[in-house]
Amino acid sequence: MSGRRPSLFWAACAVAGALLVAFVVLPAASMIAGAGAGFLGEALRQGDIRRSLWLTVSAALIATAIAFVVGVPLAYVLARRDFVGKRAIEGLIDLPIVFPHTAAGIALLTVYGRDGMVGRLLAPFGISFTETVAGIVLAMLFVSLPFLVDTARETFALVDERYEHVARTLGSSPGGAFLRVTFPQAWRGVLAGAVLMWGRGISEFGAVVILAYNPKVISVLTFERFEGFGLRAAQPPAVLIVIVAFVVFLAVRAVLLPRRGRLRKGAP
Amino acid sequence: MISLRALAIEAGGFGVGPLDLDVPVGEYAVLLGPSGAGKTLVLEAVAGIRPVRTGAVLIRGEDVTRMPAERRGVGLVFQDGLLFPHLTVAQNIAYGLGAAWPAWPGRRRRALRPGVARLAAETGVTELLDRRPATLSGGERQRVALARALAPGPRLLLLDEPLSAVDADAREGLQDLLRRLSVDDGLTVLHVTHDLGEAFAVGGLFAVLVAGRLQQVGALYDVLRRPATVEVARFMGARNVFEARPVPGDSSRLALAPGGTLRISGPAPAGVRHAVVRPDDITVLPEKYPSIGVGENVLAGRVRRVICAGATSVVEVDVPPLFRAAVSARELEALGIEPGIMVGLHVPAAAVHAV
Repeated sequence: MSGRRPSLFWAACAVAGALLVAFVVLPAASMIAGAGAGFLGEALRQGDIRRSLWLTVSAALIATAIAFVVGVPLAYVLARRDFVGKRAIEGLIDLPIVFPHTAAGIALLTVYGRDGMVGRLLAPFGISFTETVAGIVLAMLFVSLPFLVDTARETFALVDERYEHVARTLGSSPGGAFLRVTFPQAWRGVLAGAVLMWGRGISEFGAVVILAYNPKVISVLTFERFEGFGLRAAQPPAVLIVIVAFVVFLAVRAVLLPRRGRLRKGAP
Repeated sequence: MISLRALAIEAGGFGVGPLDLDVPVGEYAVLLGPSGAGKTLVLEAVAGIRPVRTGAVLIRGEDVTRMPAERRGVGLVFQDGLLFPHLTVAQNIAYGLGAAWPAWPGRRRRALRPGVARLAAETGVTELLDRRPATLSGGERQRVALARALAPGPRLLLLDEPLSAVDADAREGLQDLLRRLSVDDGLTVLHVTHDLGEAFAVGGLFAVLVAGRLQQVGALYDVLRRPATVEVARFMGARNVFEARPVPGDSSRLALAPGGTLRISGPAPAGVRHAVVRPDDITVLPEKYPSIGVGENVLAGRVRRVICAGATSVVEVDVPPLFRAAVSARELEALGIEPGIMVGLHVPAAAVHAV
């Protein structure tokens, strides 16, 4: 092999990578630049944007919390156990990824809408999923659940099951072994999945707009402003949510990536 | 007594057993066998982390077959130690002492300190208590894993190839520690390995498992010198295994299927199908040795190949059949052994084992 080939190869990789990064960064940078100086303060002074931002962030957080409670145990079972129908369940969990999101909204409406099977059952208790926060959470949960379950499942699978075996012989119950041995080794991956899910949730439009146009999440508000008042009016909420998501992602990455010193000490 | 009663295990289409094994209290038992024999499955079944298909596991008379692992009172050490990487050495040991949480505050944690210190001193890891597992050597990890396994005071210690991932120096120290735990402390041990050297260094009772079947249980020289089956003989390193039948009218002589006969010490038991000779029991003689052709079990043959393996080499001699003899480097040089030359082989009758 000639000595030049590897450097050419790496140069080609670098160029391809740079093109991709530019492709991702340029629209976001252009949008932020187009919004003009002082847009942040201006945007936050507008009540509808403030309310919409809070609604979006909190609804996505609630959806993530629900998915954490029900999805992490499922991910653990899928990572550890073989059973009939396991492949089918894994496929079904991933189904929302391939669903067109407006179709997901329609599907949710047929079950949880006023005339839907579950919607009718819950209506007497005052629980409604149309035009409510609950509907927004439901839509976000549906479309973003696979991101948490899949990431958590893969992370649990990476933790050697024999750690749990050792923990069992040391007196831990199966639940104790999970909480004290497996989860502490897998929490970064689970958290990464939760953040991915939350990020997917705050960006959801299609399913949310079908189930709950109001109250408006930030994606719906941006769309409404764009339709009614044009690009300039749509930029503040769009830029705001991008910045919020970016800051959260950066903060979580700082937590997820082990520091050099901790790496040297062998911390997971 | 640790007893396995007609124990059968199945995993991924591979079956082990049914097998019966009794390990007296305080005994250091080694379950020996080639890779893929099912040794670890047996260990896991005894530990309670793998379900058994049929049969029973009894620990000191108590049937623990359906008992969860956490109530069996067994310690478990794997080949790679498997220390919990998110805990320090001290926290790993404390886990076995019942530390509810790694960073349990206050009185409870202080109460565990003497226990951790005692176990650390016993296993020689006192200096390592604040370290993380990733910074330890293979031998240090195994010592900590032992300390952790001993922490709950197990009735039985299960070891899965605990010495195979450590260097020679650390291995000797660990072997001493394991023997001490068994002899001095009376701990019952079931140690699984495919490594004969590791097994012989620590074991007192040997059980040989091949292809999921327990072939033989006995002391060192039983399994080494008097293998019960051809499979045990081969696993124990007897590389001369020939189909054979007693010579009609002379039951102390075996006729080898490939040709020739070998005298054995005493009459062959009924049903003999094979003659087994260990390479280290054969003496290679120079070609001009005066007893060639006339001595008992002295055979002449041509050297086909010399397989050098350091201090001891294996010389293949075509008699026929093809014999393999272990020869030291000194003998190899002195006799000028090389492929193509004629040599004599002396196979003592006492070294021919009829199976």
